[in-house]
Amino acid sequence: METSPKRNKKHSIHKNPWFLGTVVCIFVVSVLVNIPIEKRKYGLSQSNLTTDYTGLLPERIERIVKVGGRTELQKIVKEANEKRQHISIAGMQHSQGGHTYYKESIVLDMKTFNKILEIDKQHKRIKVEAGATWEDVQEAIQPYGLALKVTQSQSIFTIGGSLSVNAHGRDIRFGPMAGTVREMTILTPTGEIKTVTRNDSEEWMKFVFGGYGLFGVILDVTLELTENDVYSIHTEELKTNEYEAYFSNLLSNNKTSMHYARVSVAPHSFLNEMYVIDYKNTGKKDHQTKLKKEHGARIGKLALDIGRQGGGLEDLFWKNQKLLIKSLDGDEITRNNAMRGNSAFMEFTKPGRVEVLQEFFVPVEQFEEYIRELKRFLSANDKNDDFKIHNITVRYAAKDDYTYLNYAKEDMFGLVILIQHGLKEKEIQNAKAIIQGWTDLTLKHGGGYYLPYYPYQTKEQFRKTYPSWEMFHEEKLKRDPNGVFQNIFYDYYF
Amino acid sequence: MKILSELYVPLVVSVGQVVIFPYYILWLKEASLTFTLFTWLFAAFSFSAALGYRMHQAGKKPANSYIPFLYMGMGGVYLFVGNISTSFEVLPFLALLFQVILGFLQGYHHAWHIEQNTFRLHAINHYLLVGIIMVALSFVKIISPTIFITIFGATLFICGLVFIFMKNNMDSAVSN
Ligand SMILES: Cc1cc2nc3c(=O)[nH]c(=O)nc-3n(C[C@H](O)[C@H](O)[C@H](O)COP(=O)(O)OP(=O)(O)OC[C@H]3O[C@@H](n4cnc5c(N)ncnc54)[C@H](O)[C@@H]3O)c2cc1C
Repeated sequence: METSPKRNKKHSIHKNPWFLGTVVCIFVVSVLVNIPIEKRKYGLSQSNLTTDYTGLLPERIERIVKVGGRTELQKIVKEANEKRQHISIAGMQHSQGGHTYYKESIVLDMKTFNKILEIDKQHKRIKVEAGATWEDVQEAIQPYGLALKVTQSQSIFTIGGSLSVNAHGRDIRFGPMAGTVREMTILTPTGEIKTVTRNDSEEWMKFVFGGYGLFGVILDVTLELTENDVYSIHTEELKTNEYEAYFSNLLSNNKTSMHYARVSVAPHSFLNEMYVIDYKNTGKKDHQTKLKKEHGARIGKLALDIGRQGGGLEDLFWKNQKLLIKSLDGDEITRNNAMRGNSAFMEFTKPGRVEVLQEFFVPVEQFEEYIRELKRFLSANDKNDDFKIHNITVRYAAKDDYTYLNYAKEDMFGLVILIQHGLKEKEIQNAKAIIQGWTDLTLKHGGGYYLPYYPYQTKEQFRKTYPSWEMFHEEKLKRDPNGVFQNIFYDYYF
Repeated sequence: MKILSELYVPLVVSVGQVVIFPYYILWLKEASLTFTLFTWLFAAFSFSAALGYRMHQAGKKPANSYIPFLYMGMGGVYLFVGNISTSFEVLPFLALLFQVILGFLQGYHHAWHIEQNTFRLHAINHYLLVGIIMVALSFVKIISPTIFITIFGATLFICGLVFIFMKNNMDSAVSN
């Protein structure tokens, strides 16, 4: 049988080197654009060691319980109380100091306990299980034109995890996060399920919020909501010595609802320049705008990677950041979307190195002097240092009367610092020494530091920052006499 | 000597590639963040191998002149993999590049190898050697995969150099 030339040609196209070369090129390009941004592998593991987001402080745990129902949970806690077993509680595990696990403990993985229980549009309230994330809540309330009062700058955290550190964010009007909870259901260390309010005589909320999972499991909370207002973004470049006056003016007139700022860590403008981002009320409300998804993470990451090189490249990064921020001026954004900052661009995984957060609080009226001293304490160009500072943002944390272990004994600015350092013993010791020096400087100005991060600080610095630690400890021993709720954080500081 | 290098070096490559595979795959798994990417990296290898195979067939110059560089190229990639220390986000991009290079070189080598007189003999030796080495490796548990990958890379690189050296010797012997 003879084959036609046409068929022959068709038959051999796949053997043509040009065709094959094109296939390889097309395939390589499509793989390249689809390579995902590295996500750190972290978290709970029964077969390996458990860590939190940083991968530091690895520990072997006894078992993980994926929380489903309240009765099952109650049984586990009661049994642990009787048998003197330890329990730790984990949300998204973005805390960085072993707050969510303990040696040989039973770890409750709350992520599966995440139902939205009730939305009350009229009174602007939502009742939700504590393993839900802010993202889950935003998705549920956005169609009703409602928004959260206080969250962190990102929506990736669980509600239980956020309340247990009493988080703060860009909102400057509604005070501490703990103050936005009307009601809470808690499973106590002795296995009782209690529903409590702010007026509860036993003050459970005051210990549980900012209580780092040491006083029981938050099962659900009823949160107060507000309207999904539309804001117009205002950005401005300032010198750091102008910021105090700028902010007090901002706070005293009611035009702005949310605000944060970024301080330069680039060598040529180190702690001199900053820019502010204000979310100004427009009077409009929104029911329609979709919740924004994270995009541009690869470009953002590339830019941050350039900044990470330090020196001239960090100057370049800062200049670009300013341009980018300037381009946002005048844009409109909904409250819900302003509370959903990006996070994927921050991913960093390099063998032998780690990136961690620290947050220092300083009284609002101390900001200028504090920054002046900080300039003398830190090196402006860390290109050749092991300890590198990549980013500093500033938020406002209003005076907190809702929790005992509180970081805002008066109105404070929180300076969130993104730090990178090596993991060799010498490098960790160096980072410890710098951060302890920084903490002393902060304490000198009447400030302190935030507890969800890696404990570089000493016990003494902890006690100075949180003078009510003793009372907190006494209550812990009283309410949890068998030490059911345990974590590495508690072990270290108490 | 020529006979020796022609006899054994291709065997080192074909046996070595299979033996190193479990170690290399560990690295590749680590470098490819998702299962999808892991499979795509294999696909990139295969497409590139098809191209390499075809390029050998379509080549006009005698392939022998490229073979030493092919060994050195493969060796270079394995040496690089064995000694790499970079941030994780760069790894998938490097892995893709390595897969394309290795695929191309392996395809090309295979096309060349099957044309050699020794190929049939190699086939049996190949299977036997792989079996024996794999059993032997099962007893070695402590050495890290990167050490094996580095050793294999260095071996290939040296094979390439040996080939060039032999070829030069042969050429000068002929011209003398
Ligand atoms: C990239 C990044 C950005 C951040 N930004 C901010 C910010 O803008 N503002 C801010 O204030 N903080 C910020 N943080 C800190 C963050 O708010 C805390 O780490 C928070 O705890 C994270 O929530 P999570 O769900 O990961 O909690 P986890 O880390 O899982 O848990 C934190 C603590 O809460 C306890 N806990 C968790 N669930 C429960 C529960 N149901 N009942 C009782 N206890 C529970 C745990 O035992 C643990 O002690 C940031 C952290 C990161 C990594």
